[in-house]
Amino acid sequence: MTQKTLALFCLSGFLFFCPLPIEAGVLEDKNCGSCHRLSIEDTENTFTGPDLHYAGNKFQPEWLKRFLNQPRVIRPAGFITDPGVLQEKPLPPHPSFPEDAANTLADSLMGLKISGETLEPVTPEPLSKGQRAKIKYQFERTFGCISCHQSLNLAGKVRGGVSGPSLVNAGNRLQANWMANWLKAPQIYLSKGRMPRYKMGSATQNQFARFLMSLKKENIK
Amino acid sequence: MILNNKNFLFGMTVALFLSSGCGQDPEKQVASTLKPPLQQEVRVAPPAPQPQRVKVTENTRETYQWYCTQCHGIEGKGNGINAKLLTVPPRNHTKADYLETRTDEQLFEAIKFGGLSVGRAPCMPAWEHTLDESTIHSLVQYIRELCQCEAL
Repeated sequence: MTQKTLALFCLSGFLFFCPLPIEAGVLEDKNCGSCHRLSIEDTENTFTGPDLHYAGNKFQPEWLKRFLNQPRVIRPAGFITDPGVLQEKPLPPHPSFPEDAANTLADSLMGLKISGETLEPVTPEPLSKGQRAKIKYQFERTFGCISCHQSLNLAGKVRGGVSGPSLVNAGNRLQANWMANWLKAPQIYLSKGRMPRYKMGSATQNQFARFLMSLKKENIK
Repeated sequence: MILNNKNFLFGMTVALFLSSGCGQDPEKQVASTLKPPLQQEVRVAPPAPQPQRVKVTENTRETYQWYCTQCHGIEGKGNGINAKLLTVPPRNHTKADYLETRTDEQLFEAIKFGGLSVGRAPCMPAWEHTLDESTIHSLVQYIRELCQCEAL
């Protein structure tokens, strides 16, 4: 083996193992870690922004790109681990990035994944009319989700509390599997959330995820 | 004899009336047993919680601050960040006039099984899978502390 080939071989090896540090570097450059938890090794109880160490499990990449370019408020009360949460203080605006940077950041965030998916993948088909009526009712009346999450009420109007993240555009923002997993085992993602835990069974969790996938801002009349 | 006949006829009429009644009733009874039971009849009543006086601890206050304040407010005045956005306003825990009409068991059930279980609003979710019974009992006592009231 010539020296040149050896050098090329080493370089390719280096490049092969490199992506992770490069991705982490992009997020580090933009100082994302000052508000967001980016690794499972960071302690979770001090961050003022949403936990992103499982961003790749949770978000839809297209939404992330748009958000980083044109940020919107998803949690008007702040993130639950923020000591100032619920005190109705104005939130500092999220920085916005030019399209290129937003795309690179979104790609890096999509690389942040954890294992622990505990469900069968959620089938993407929309709910039947009857199933949808049932879940819509349960969302508001049985489980009281609307008390903390802005979403659509039974009359189809945008209503609801703000201590939890808005679900008005959940179908464009979140992954169906993540939602079903969150309902089943939230402790995989957050050791202690502020949302009540529900034992609703896999079939219902699955249907909830599919219902939430239908909540898209373009569908609001 | 005439009298006897009359008696006989009267007896027969009564017997006929009764027998016809008996003939119809069992059918009705069968029909009523086959009728699907009302939803309320099949609902399994939650086990009656035993009144308990669990002491309010630092953990109780932290639990209240962590979960309940989202709607009931940091001071329990029913003015949490979600309050104005709910169809039914959350209870003000510092006011005695309503809370003294509720027993400790009713408050316990409202927390454990949600507002609907005690005939109140569905906005209040069930905390049975989030909080253990002893914490819920201590939250009831904490509410009593906030309202400075007891059940009448």
